Amino acid sequence: MWNKRKGIEAGDTVILWLTRDAVQPLVVTPGKELNNRFGVYRHSDFIGKLYGSKISSRNGRGFIHVLRPTPELWTLALPHRTQILYVADIAFITAMLGLKPGSIVLEAGTGSGSFSHSLARTIGPHGALHTFEFHESRVNRAREEFQAHGLSDIIDISHRNVCKDGFGLENAADAIFLDLPAPWDAIPHVRTALKKDRAARICCFSPCMEQVLRTVAALNESTFSDVTMYETLLRPSEVQPISLQSVDTVADKLKIGEVQKEARRLRQIEASVGGQKRKLEELDSAADSADSNDGTTIQQQDPKHNGPALSKTTIDTAIVSKAPQEVRGHTSYLTFATLLPVAAVTLWIAEEKASADGLAAC
Amino acid sequence: MAMDSHLIKLGDHVVFKMPSEQTRVYKLEENTTVNLGKFGSFPGAKLLGHPFGLTYTNERGELRVMQPEVVKELEETQATNEYIEDVGDAVQPLTYEEIEALKKSGADAAEIISRQINSHANYELKTEFSKEKYKKRKQAKFSKTFTALPPSLPNLLDHFTAQGPARVQHLRIDTLAQLLTFANIQEGGRYIVVEDCGGLVVGAMLERMGGTGRLLEVHDADSPPAHHVLGMMNLSQEEMSPLRVLNWATAEETHTPIFPPTEVSGKKIKSERERRRIEKRKEAVDQVLDSRRELFEGDWDAMIVASQYEPFSIVERLGKYLGGSANCVLHSPYSSVLADVQYKLRQQGGWLHLQLTEGWLRRYQVLPGRTHPDMNVQGSGGWLLHAIKVYDDPSASSVVHWEVQARKKRKLDAVASDATTPAEGETEEVAMEPAVVGEATEDAGGAAQVEDMLLDPVPEDLNVDGNAALGEALPIQGAEPNGIDPAESRS
Repeated sequence: MWNKRKGIEAGDTVILWLTRDAVQPLVVTPGKELNNRFGVYRHSDFIGKLYGSKISSRNGRGFIHVLRPTPELWTLALPHRTQILYVADIAFITAMLGLKPGSIVLEAGTGSGSFSHSLARTIGPHGALHTFEFHESRVNRAREEFQAHGLSDIIDISHRNVCKDGFGLENAADAIFLDLPAPWDAIPHVRTALKKDRAARICCFSPCMEQVLRTVAALNESTFSDVTMYETLLRPSEVQPISLQSVDTVADKLKIGEVQKEARRLRQIEASVGGQKRKLEELDSAADSADSNDGTTIQQQDPKHNGPALSKTTIDTAIVSKAPQEVRGHTSYLTFATLLPVAAVTLWIAEEKASADGLAAC
Repeated sequence: MAMDSHLIKLGDHVVFKMPSEQTRVYKLEENTTVNLGKFGSFPGAKLLGHPFGLTYTNERGELRVMQPEVVKELEETQATNEYIEDVGDAVQPLTYEEIEALKKSGADAAEIISRQINSHANYELKTEFSKEKYKKRKQAKFSKTFTALPPSLPNLLDHFTAQGPARVQHLRIDTLAQLLTFANIQEGGRYIVVEDCGGLVVGAMLERMGGTGRLLEVHDADSPPAHHVLGMMNLSQEEMSPLRVLNWATAEETHTPIFPPTEVSGKKIKSERERRRIEKRKEAVDQVLDSRRELFEGDWDAMIVASQYEPFSIVERLGKYLGGSANCVLHSPYSSVLADVQYKLRQQGGWLHLQLTEGWLRRYQVLPGRTHPDMNVQGSGGWLLHAIKVYDDPSASSVVHWEVQARKKRKLDAVASDATTPAEGETEEVAMEPAVVGEATEDAGGAAQVEDMLLDPVPEDLNVDGNAALGEALPIQGAEPNGIDPAESRS
């Protein structure tokens, strides 16, 4: 998928990384200009640069990074036409369907074609992805994209409503992925399209529990086994250094405050009573006790000059991580099931008659 | 890739799942006896040629394929546990000795269970759901059945996690899957891997590479690692072919490895055997030299780390060999370990999209009328730090720097012209500005200034992505000049 060259050439699809929240695709077209909040760029500036380069804007008002596209960066950057799958779901579905180079996979619907890119990446040039979408303009746009990204040999897209018309394929797929509003209507067709000589897998992607329950009922009815449902999410952490101050410092400060307060009180009494010798003596002894308190506090008599003493106290920097204020709490429910080789079922039926009083008795 | 990998063949490893949900892994050789303890034993050769995934009953070594279990709706009844007393052993008069005698007399699981049900004091009072659960529990105890599963990633992880998750670095199927996806593993790629999971991660990567490209593993032993998990994955010779190994000494550019002699000079080779031995040694030495050359040439597409060793020391040694835009994905069971690495990489520079995440996974039982998440689950599959390698350009000036300078100038201009009303609320904006940008004004020099802001609690990867600071600061100021709303792109 895409190219593996080190350097960027004219006509390449690249991913521009402006910020984490501003990632966009670009086809490098000499003569064109790019103008955004992060500066002014000519497409020709990118040519000859290495993938992964930081590029300074022509007007010196910022920079961008030019990255090699991956299906996941494409997912971040692509113009969303429909709800897209998130990376945790993409990774999990791929692993749980057991996809690898050479797998034959069916997908319905195609939507924005984001997951199609990830599937094509994993199954590679020896695999095949047949993807189905009932919305015609989405079909055309996705087809153009697959063409532009050099995926036409792997991905074959059809304009078709699989719930009504099926997949038009029989005994063909290692795995099927359904992202449809009513996947249960497609389950009988899924049964037809899956390979019958091996344990073939299905995954249904549905945001609501009611959809899951209807899908599960349909899967049970179509003799799928091992029906299991999952939710998966990525929980991001924010990493930052923070200063964690010990309360020892606080205690020291409070003690100094106590002494100062007492000294101030005595000074006030002295002022009001007026030059009584006894009070003066008391004041001196209070100041002495503050001095002899502890080596670190000598300079802290004056609150305006407590800097040196504070620097002696322990302020530890800790690298900490915490969850952001708001995170994604749900994407979709992923229902998986297995269609076991039909030969096994036929075998069993023959045996069932022989042992009709077997397990069924209890 | 072998196109018949769905069929069990001689030499394959099979994961046997027993009614108790426990698993055992056997390599099927011609004379292998598969021993599943109380669930029986049988000659493994009987499974050859069968597709993976089927469930069998085992009667004294005779295997029969079972109908795939199809879940039926249960009829709801009026039954509750209102009248069910917990009377301990009295509820089940059938004793252990009697059951053992039944087993010896040749009664099968169905027979024993039906005898237990018949003698059960409260069985008929139970709800249908409760009856079903009771039968399931008894079947798990008495049924001599098993399922012959392929050694796929989920099945092997289940197997090894049950034996002790530390053996696979506490990886869970979701985090293992994320390693492969974040690193963009595919056919023809060139990848570096460091792992202490018995070769599970190596095997997972090889499976996605389809016998093409190059996988270089750096390990801690003086001879190639044994990889007991990798050996169970039924990978073909072709699928294994991209793998090369170096250890931490031979992977060091400044180190000159000491090899035993590969040329016999002077004395004659005594025997054919010795000649072969020396040839083999030369082959091994050449491969190490070739792998070193390949590693040092750089431009690798991705690196995956799931190791017991300190990850930053690994990135320091190997990160320089990654190409521009390459993915570096580090796993650890400990979030604090990766938080430290993220902080260090941020300061080091040359990395984009630094992102620390924990996988979250919840499995549900979806039996009709009984849908709920699993009660006891693995606490964590560990944390992942994902970073994209980039080439830094210190001369590039961040937009933050520019905007701050511009704003400062505007502010000065406003003061100079003695404006009674603040122009466009500009002066106010400066006053309200977050500390992040305010501090940056003290410093001159483009991207460098951004690095200084790292001490502020801004979670973005600022040193390589100075623009991000703007994204952080702008929402506080209000309007987004280019209409780029950070929240929008997340929806």
